[in-house]
Amino acid sequence: MTTQSLYKSFIIEEYQLQEEPYYVPIADEVELFEAAYKSRLPLIFKGPTGCGKTRFVEYMSYKLGIELTKVKKSDSDDSGVNLPLVTIACHEDLTGSDLVGRYLLEGDQTVWLDGPLTRAVKAGGICYLDEVVEARKDTTVLIHPLTDHRRILPIEKRGELLEAAEGFLLVLSYNPGYQSALKDLKHSTRQRFVSIEFDYPPIELETQIVAHEAGVDEDVAYQLAKLGEKVRNLKEHGLGEGASTRLLIYAGKLISEGITPRRACQVSVNWAITDDESLQQSITEIISSIFE
Amino acid sequence: MTDQSEHLKEFVVELQKFPGPVLDNFNRAISEMPNALSEEQILDWLRRGIDIAGQTVRSWEAAAHFFQVSPSVISSMPYSYFVRWMECGTSLCGESPTLAAAYFEASPSTMSKLRSRHIESWAGLGDGLYKGTWKSSTLACRFFAETPTLLDTLSFQQLEKFANFLDALSHRSYDLSSECLTLGQQIFPLVGDNKDAFLSLATTLVETGWREVKSFFEAGAKALPKIHPEERMRFLNLAESLVNSGGTNIPGTMLDISESLSLLEEDHHHIVLGFAETLLHEEPLAMPEFIKSAPIVLEKLTILQLGRWYQEGVNTLSQNRDGGLAFFKIESSHSEAVMETLSSGIEFDRIKPVMEMYCRALAGAEIKLSPTDALVEKNIGWVSNESPTTEGSTVFVPTVVDRYATKEENYAWFKVVSTHQVAHLEFGSFIFEFERESQLFDNLRLDLEKRRIEALEEAQDNLSTESDPGVPTDPGNELLEGQAGLERAWLTDMQRFFDLFEDRKLALDIFTVVEDGRLDARVKNEYPGIKSSYVQVQSDSHENRPDIKELPAREAMVEFMVRLSLQQYEGVIAPSKYNKEAAQVAQIARRVLDVSASVEDTAEATLRIYAVIAAIPNEEIPPDDWNDMDFDDEDDEDYVDPEDMENLLQQIGMGMEMELRPEGEEEYESIQEVEYRGDFKPELAQLMTELRMQQQDEMGQTQGEPLTQEQLQELLENSAELDLQATEGEIQESSGMFADNIMKEAGANMPQSPDDAQGPFVHVDEDGGELEPAEPETFVYDEWDFRAEDYKPRWCIVRQKTMQEGDPTYFGATLNEYGTLVTRIRRQFEMMVPEMFRKERKLIDGEDIDIDDVIENMVDIKTGSSPDEKFYWRRNKVQRDVAVAFLLDTSASTAEAIDEGKGKQDDWDAPDDPVEYMVWLRTRRGEQMRRSYKRIIDMEKESMVLLINALEAIGDTYGIYGFSGYGRENVEFYTVKDLQETFSDRVKRRIDRIAPLHATRMGPAIRHAVYKLENTDARTKILFLISDGRPQDRGYSREGVEKEYAVHDTKMALDEAKRQGINSFCLTVDKNGHDYLKTMCSDMGYEILDDINDLPERLLVLYRRLTM
Repeated sequence: MTTQSLYKSFIIEEYQLQEEPYYVPIADEVELFEAAYKSRLPLIFKGPTGCGKTRFVEYMSYKLGIELTKVKKSDSDDSGVNLPLVTIACHEDLTGSDLVGRYLLEGDQTVWLDGPLTRAVKAGGICYLDEVVEARKDTTVLIHPLTDHRRILPIEKRGELLEAAEGFLLVLSYNPGYQSALKDLKHSTRQRFVSIEFDYPPIELETQIVAHEAGVDEDVAYQLAKLGEKVRNLKEHGLGEGASTRLLIYAGKLISEGITPRRACQVSVNWAITDDESLQQSITEIISSIFE
Repeated sequence: MTDQSEHLKEFVVELQKFPGPVLDNFNRAISEMPNALSEEQILDWLRRGIDIAGQTVRSWEAAAHFFQVSPSVISSMPYSYFVRWMECGTSLCGESPTLAAAYFEASPSTMSKLRSRHIESWAGLGDGLYKGTWKSSTLACRFFAETPTLLDTLSFQQLEKFANFLDALSHRSYDLSSECLTLGQQIFPLVGDNKDAFLSLATTLVETGWREVKSFFEAGAKALPKIHPEERMRFLNLAESLVNSGGTNIPGTMLDISESLSLLEEDHHHIVLGFAETLLHEEPLAMPEFIKSAPIVLEKLTILQLGRWYQEGVNTLSQNRDGGLAFFKIESSHSEAVMETLSSGIEFDRIKPVMEMYCRALAGAEIKLSPTDALVEKNIGWVSNESPTTEGSTVFVPTVVDRYATKEENYAWFKVVSTHQVAHLEFGSFIFEFERESQLFDNLRLDLEKRRIEALEEAQDNLSTESDPGVPTDPGNELLEGQAGLERAWLTDMQRFFDLFEDRKLALDIFTVVEDGRLDARVKNEYPGIKSSYVQVQSDSHENRPDIKELPAREAMVEFMVRLSLQQYEGVIAPSKYNKEAAQVAQIARRVLDVSASVEDTAEATLRIYAVIAAIPNEEIPPDDWNDMDFDDEDDEDYVDPEDMENLLQQIGMGMEMELRPEGEEEYESIQEVEYRGDFKPELAQLMTELRMQQQDEMGQTQGEPLTQEQLQELLENSAELDLQATEGEIQESSGMFADNIMKEAGANMPQSPDDAQGPFVHVDEDGGELEPAEPETFVYDEWDFRAEDYKPRWCIVRQKTMQEGDPTYFGATLNEYGTLVTRIRRQFEMMVPEMFRKERKLIDGEDIDIDDVIENMVDIKTGSSPDEKFYWRRNKVQRDVAVAFLLDTSASTAEAIDEGKGKQDDWDAPDDPVEYMVWLRTRRGEQMRRSYKRIIDMEKESMVLLINALEAIGDTYGIYGFSGYGRENVEFYTVKDLQETFSDRVKRRIDRIAPLHATRMGPAIRHAVYKLENTDARTKILFLISDGRPQDRGYSREGVEKEYAVHDTKMALDEAKRQGINSFCLTVDKNGHDYLKTMCSDMGYEILDDINDLPERLLVLYRRLTM
């Protein structure tokens, strides 16, 4: 097939990371995750946007995959890791059937198609529901039976109960920053998870991360990290969210491509985080103080 | 005996017929008459006297005066004029003897100032004023009497003019004329060379507005001295032109103008008046406004820029007269904008939001930014209006920066200043801990402290052995206290540190320089972007330093350090004699430039530098004894304290460093502070911080011994940071005052319980300028001036208050009253809810397929008919996401009874005077108290109750606010239920307290409601205005006459809301509302209720319709 060479596509439960993602642990999150995974305790990641939640889950899936491979599949072929990572970005129109699956018409009959959650449950991978509060309430109830001792997924439309495969683990992420009262997790949902809190890394680590990811030298990375730190001080003063590590990395990448630091920060940090003019000016002042 | 002497005797006999004084005066006079007179002349004189005396019954008095003054009159003029004088007198006497008497009486002193040839004209002037009436006679007499004084300053021609003026004025009012005569003598000396202009202006004024003449005179006397002498003429001409072009209240205007001019530099009078003259041709009324605004404008602009601002104003004027007037009054945004564009200065107000955020970001703390005068006003020890500073939580910066020619440079300066102040917080100047170790130096602080205590104890022991222990002597007492001071718990670590030094001032100065140097180095390292501006500011500051060679040695050493810190250690001179010490100091100071240096390092460095400098006598250094200090980049990694350091410290430890100094040396005086670094008061700042913490602790009921006022006062007296250069008693007093204020200040930051009481009204004149929201919970808004087609910037203050709480049963009672309606409404509203979740079927695309529809589709296919492809369903996506703010008019007019059926009377006749208005209001409210009928406000309240009941059923976000107010500085905005607030018993209680208050200034209230809605997240936002009449308020109009002003401002406020995506709806019960509502809500919905009783039901119907 000629199309295959044009783009790479994966079947959702077969997506595995081939290379170790870059991740710098900030606290004990790696140990926590490993411990939780051993007991198959579902996890919830709380933290502002762009602080590395997704990267962390990728990192863990790779890391745990390696371990699984070592223990169980040492004699098998070169498939490498085998802890699939199913990422589902939640949006406000995401419904239960989007997750579980639905009937489709094919010819004269209906055909059942598994949703991503069902596939993850079957395949026994990590199912990562990103920004879960955005999803509709019915979806969050749907995951309840998966998260306690039952570890089952009821598929009511087919009248089935699906038992989760051995390796399955549910991980949610949510950002408490912009939660409105409406978009909060129900207690019955929250109390089924082990929570790991994320925050932006301290300046030294962030320097290291930015330097690695963006390919800029330590000095620039330090300055970017400092910018991040200063801008985050403005949270609660009109800024909904501080400048994320991701934004700082973007800025760093622009810089390493030859954009002047001030300009790079302006477009990737300042204008990305606020539309408020006076706040933009304040941040411009910070940028112009930090960068020459 | 000659004939003449016989004649004489005959005449004398004749004289005897008159009352005694005539003859007496004659006898006295004749002896004084000059001998040169011939007997004939004497006879002639005598005869004229008799003529005068004989004219009427009362004319003997005139004659008596005639004789009395004659000798002195004749002495000042030749006989021929004397004859004329007598003739004039005689003819005046013919008119009125009193007049003649006054004429004679005033003559002697007048004649010395009056050219003899003017005698007749002078007499004529008096005569002219006399119109045969009693009042005119008084005036004329007074004119004569005042002449001598007037002639001191006026020429005769001017006197004539003045007399003409008096004459003209006397046609209107004799009293006024006479008063002006009196004022004249005070004023003319002040008028200087411009009397002609002044007089002609006065004369013109008689024709156009004679009533103002007197105040014109008074104003003139006050106004003229304020103006540059050469420009007074032009000023008067201006005033005259203003009169001619129909200006009113000329005296007031003159006073205002001159007041403004006096605020300007005298050199500028010429230019400003020049503009004013041209402006007069454009628009006479704008001229005074221009001059009045000039001082404000010139604070921000140079005189050249003023010209451009003026030109812009003229342009505006030519397009729109009212706009131009507002421009020159600086009551338009355009005017401000032009000023801002032209000005090179940076104004605190404009950049505050940006810089405050900047500072917060840098410090990572709740920093506030304030102008320095705010700190000075608090009176807690900071005194300079200019110096930037910080007290630990607020950064104080100057209100205006206009040091450089361009805005950019000024801005850069401002930024450097702010950055430096924030650096104190960011890099921890105030987190000094006495016992925390320094990383760069050996720690000597504790050691030194121990030595000092030992030394003190020793001294005390010596004393107690010497003196009777039972009766402590004064010095012993002092030391005891000193020791007690060292042993007690220190209030702050900073204080503990400074207690180590005998000369706290010197120690503080050194500490300041070293610490500032550390911060500067740190900032430049951490913020490379600001480095260039920083270096620029530093080198500018360096240029402004005082001449180091004039300073005595010790001060010179400190100055030397300042320069080092500003100049990056290059080319700084020091006294040759102390080169070694200077090098030592430089070496120590330089170590703290390290990035890792902390405030404790600064302290250790201070200690060492103090030791070095304190050992230098504060003596004059001859100008030749200076040389450049060279600092090669010596490696000071291996810095060790020099050997003599131990010695020096020993001395400090003994408290002896002062004793060793030579007799008669100069006292160390603090050196001039570096401007951009400002006023550094570490002790006070740390104290403030601790006090605040302490206050918070108290709130939280934790332990901690509160600081007493006395301790604080004592601390302040010891501190070198306060400038308490006064006698002993006054120090006590002022430190007490500081202590008081500091306590207050520290407490002032505690959260305050909301004060629901109505504050007293502060009366601000409508003509006044912009307002500043000084208190919490106050907001300032612009107001639209439709004539000027521009906003009046920061014109109204909205005071947000929470409605007081009343009886909660009101709510339930009202619901009961409307029993059936309540159920009906509630059902209607509840029916709105399921609509939101209804499944929509038969869609081309959707969440999922509807199996029934699919089967039907299949059937269609099998049977061969065309299938319906719409077999998807979706939940109705139209989510109800509504936020609505109800604005209730709670003006006094809502107290109108509704049952009486009479048309609502317009409140337009409300008195304009604040006091009268309050009285008027009180009477009206008093009337309402005795009511047994329903008022409009009651209907509003009931509507709210029903509304809340309904809205709670559908879960919309809603806020209920009442507004009223009095004057633009008191727009009251009462929160009954805030948008984010959940419904509770408190809200129920608040509804009960909604009551008619004052006037209706809708614009600002709408703007504030819009502001609240903006901060609410909802898809549909609605502003619901419920009123009972047109917007009106004191001064909510132009010159108090145009009702349209208020209507237009309201319209503009509603338009603004629309631009923010907020739908407005106006519901009014004013039956005459159509006329203005058409304008006010031109493209918005509005409805006029015919029957106020329909309000509750109608409101809900409208609400449903609006939000569906």
